[in-house]
Amino acid sequence: MLRRFLVAGLLLALLAGGLYFLYVDRLVTRQFEGRRWTLPAQVYAAPLELYAGSPLTREELEQELARLRYRKVDRLERPGTYREQGARVDVALRAARFADEMRPAEILTLTLGRNGVESVRDSTGQDVPIARTEPLLIGSIFPTHGEDRIVVTPQEVPPLLPAALKAVEDRKFDTHHGVDPESILRAIWVNARAGQIEQGGSTLTQQLVKSYFLNSRQTLERKLREAMMAVALELHFGKADLMNAYINEIFLGQDGSRAVQGFGLASQFYFGKPLSELDVSEVALLVAIVRGPSYYDPRRHPDRARARRDLVLKIMGERGVIKPDEALLAASKPLGVTTRASGAYYPAYLDFVRRTLRRDYREQDLTEAGLSIYTSLEPRAQDQAENALERELARLDRLHKGPAKLEGAAVVTSPQSGDVIAIVGSRNTGFSGFNRALDARRPFGSLVKPFIYLTALETGRYNAATIVQDQPLSVRLPEGKVWQPENFTRQTYGPVPLVRALAESLNLATVGVGLDVGLPKVAQTLQTFGLPRAPPLNPSMLLGAVDVTPLEAAQIYNGLANGGFRTPLRAVRSVISADGKEVKAFALEVTPVAPPEAVYEVDRMLEQVMQRGTGKPARAWLPANLVVAGKSGTSSDLRDSWFAGFSGSHLAVVWVGYDNNQPTGLTGSSGALPVWARLMSGLGTTSWSVTMPESLAEAWIEYPTGLRVETNCTQDVVPIAVPVGTQLPVKPGCGANSLDAVVERAGEWLRDIMH
Amino acid sequence: MQPTDFPGRRSPHSTRGLILLTALSLAVTACNSLRAPPYQPPSRPSGPSAPGPGSAQPGPGQPQPPTPSRPAPRQFRLGPAATALVAQAHKQSQGGQQELAAATLERAMRIEPDNPLLWIELGQVRLNEANAAQADSMGRKALALATGDPQAQASAWHLIAESLRARGRNQEGAEAEQRANALMPR
Repeated sequence: MLRRFLVAGLLLALLAGGLYFLYVDRLVTRQFEGRRWTLPAQVYAAPLELYAGSPLTREELEQELARLRYRKVDRLERPGTYREQGARVDVALRAARFADEMRPAEILTLTLGRNGVESVRDSTGQDVPIARTEPLLIGSIFPTHGEDRIVVTPQEVPPLLPAALKAVEDRKFDTHHGVDPESILRAIWVNARAGQIEQGGSTLTQQLVKSYFLNSRQTLERKLREAMMAVALELHFGKADLMNAYINEIFLGQDGSRAVQGFGLASQFYFGKPLSELDVSEVALLVAIVRGPSYYDPRRHPDRARARRDLVLKIMGERGVIKPDEALLAASKPLGVTTRASGAYYPAYLDFVRRTLRRDYREQDLTEAGLSIYTSLEPRAQDQAENALERELARLDRLHKGPAKLEGAAVVTSPQSGDVIAIVGSRNTGFSGFNRALDARRPFGSLVKPFIYLTALETGRYNAATIVQDQPLSVRLPEGKVWQPENFTRQTYGPVPLVRALAESLNLATVGVGLDVGLPKVAQTLQTFGLPRAPPLNPSMLLGAVDVTPLEAAQIYNGLANGGFRTPLRAVRSVISADGKEVKAFALEVTPVAPPEAVYEVDRMLEQVMQRGTGKPARAWLPANLVVAGKSGTSSDLRDSWFAGFSGSHLAVVWVGYDNNQPTGLTGSSGALPVWARLMSGLGTTSWSVTMPESLAEAWIEYPTGLRVETNCTQDVVPIAVPVGTQLPVKPGCGANSLDAVVERAGEWLRDIMH
Repeated sequence: MQPTDFPGRRSPHSTRGLILLTALSLAVTACNSLRAPPYQPPSRPSGPSAPGPGSAQPGPGQPQPPTPSRPAPRQFRLGPAATALVAQAHKQSQGGQQELAAATLERAMRIEPDNPLLWIELGQVRLNEANAAQADSMGRKALALATGDPQAQASAWHLIAESLRARGRNQEGAEAEQRANALMPR
């Protein structure tokens, strides 16, 4: 009887065990077969375009190649290297995927001269009209507290890596069936003698199972389950499959809330380059990190990491993965990890990308579907903007010794395309946090003025020479209060031409103009240019009592820089699905929002802001003949310091202030302007050079009086653009003689008959 | 810094003025001696920058008289890089890949953002996509950039005309067509 019970019990236990194994087997097989790593979207910067005639300098080219971790070599070997020979640079470009093509790896020869790129040729010597570098990976969109990874195919894995993993972690990988009893026994023996866990007996398969299916709690039940799962996996999948899974799965580092999973991402995370390009010592370091990503963190504990790497190299040498002298040579190399600062990490920009995409994609698509996102970020401009903000704020802090550290934000665009090429959300650019560029909503201050003047010009009753009164005024508000604005200097300037009122940012004159054209009209101009909400229709709106974020300010000013056309600011150009088949383009759109003529007249006045008004201090930074237009802004009590301005190819908006909204003691000219000027001076930007519309003519007026001058009779003159046929009062003694006028008319007549 | 510190750079308006003056001096030589020395305003640090890779701009010349300043005629062309990209965009567009064609044209526009010919090309792609409103806007943007180039202006008006007709605004379309033909008789 007892025996029967025992047999039955045994049978039952076997059955239960068998069933459990079947269950585990099914679970493992199913999950593993349908395995799809959640693939965070990868975000890329704009590629650098290479073409004859590009103003790219050698220094800029080298910086770009350095960002992409190209190695300078004497003889081109493989993609990711370049060499220099006099004016000639040979670049072995890596293969890359773009929204519109798969570009295979190719060798290009560039000739660089004083004015930039003189020629681009392929390896057969043929001229290549246009080529581009691969886009720089600038980050990924991973779930909060989630795993980030770049999946690699077996072809992208250097053969050294699996060999090293086997040598160091699992010598019998090729032959065992998921578990390695001998290795377990050895581990038990070693650990028992040491009295603590010193050696793991886990095979690579077990490590994979543990990472893929289980959490890290170590209990006997879990160990058993892990072993069963490993055996089950080995029953169904080949070694190559398992190795590839391991390489893509395993945890290799923590970066804030981001878990660095797999060797593909680890290679980018630690070395800033693709896995396929790692050398012996770099592969060894990654293999070393497997054992304890935080204990052997090469950035935080370089000595530990190095000791372990050298041990890995020694084992690799001993077990014939590499030659012993190769191991020695590799062990003599430094770790070679990138510092965080030099890595591409632009949290404020990524934040904008993420917000943009939330409109069109579910969060899950972004964090799991393996999308490739191509953005407009220009690393060079971004670095320049970060650098300008950090350095100038440090200088201002030293000068002003305020109650706290100044903060700031900057947005840079290419006005014609609406591409946002740089965003700085804080002076601590390496940390994600409060993104002031997108979220700090502050009074617009005098940045509003050009839009008041634009509205005035559009009525046809004003031009740049129109005399306006800068005089004390009081406005009775609906609630019975009286509003009495003042100039910044607390002085009044009497009758002044419009161009001067704008250049010197005179409050009283501006309020006069604004009240004359009407608050609703001014509000409408702001909204058509891109202000996303209706501003309160108080007279104080005319002095900038309208809250905007730096990004919104950039959107509004972009219309001035783009000749009266609104172009939605874009960070994302296109998104490609993981299989490369679906492409979503975020296309360029333009909408006319103001007559190009009126905008031209305003832009010419904004040029005078830079020549002789509140923007003049910028000239010390900028190349002498660079034409720029811009406007300073200061909110009441000097709480916000703004500057918005543009050249022919760039628009930049800078805000400086305190997070707690305390007064800074800075005007737009003393706070934001130096940041703006330093930023613009490093962009290699081109002059603002819009051709004057045919319905306008240039005229010269005396700056203080606005009277027209037609001869060389006085020094204090400025050029303005006015509608053809505008009769401007001429300064006595400065008119062209009457005969001249006759000649002029004769000329027009002559031209008419010749046509 | 005073404006006079800047080296003299000219706006594009003066060549026409010069031609005019030359014509005048031939026609009214007698008056020439009576003319006051031409007024030279303090040089303005403006005018066009170095021409883009493809755009034809007048070269530097004499200081300009104050009035009248008329834009010199010019003719926009595409540089080699943009030419190659436009050819690629045409292929993509003919193959029905309008989005890709647009992306390719945008790539060209990053190289020559001020070239109206590229905006006209992009407007054509928008028309192919049946996005007449954007085609119209592209035409107007091109028009604003094409100052002084009657041929480019005419192309922009053709595009605008087409986009108007595509939306059934035939009367306005005909007017736009007339403006095109007045600039560049076919």
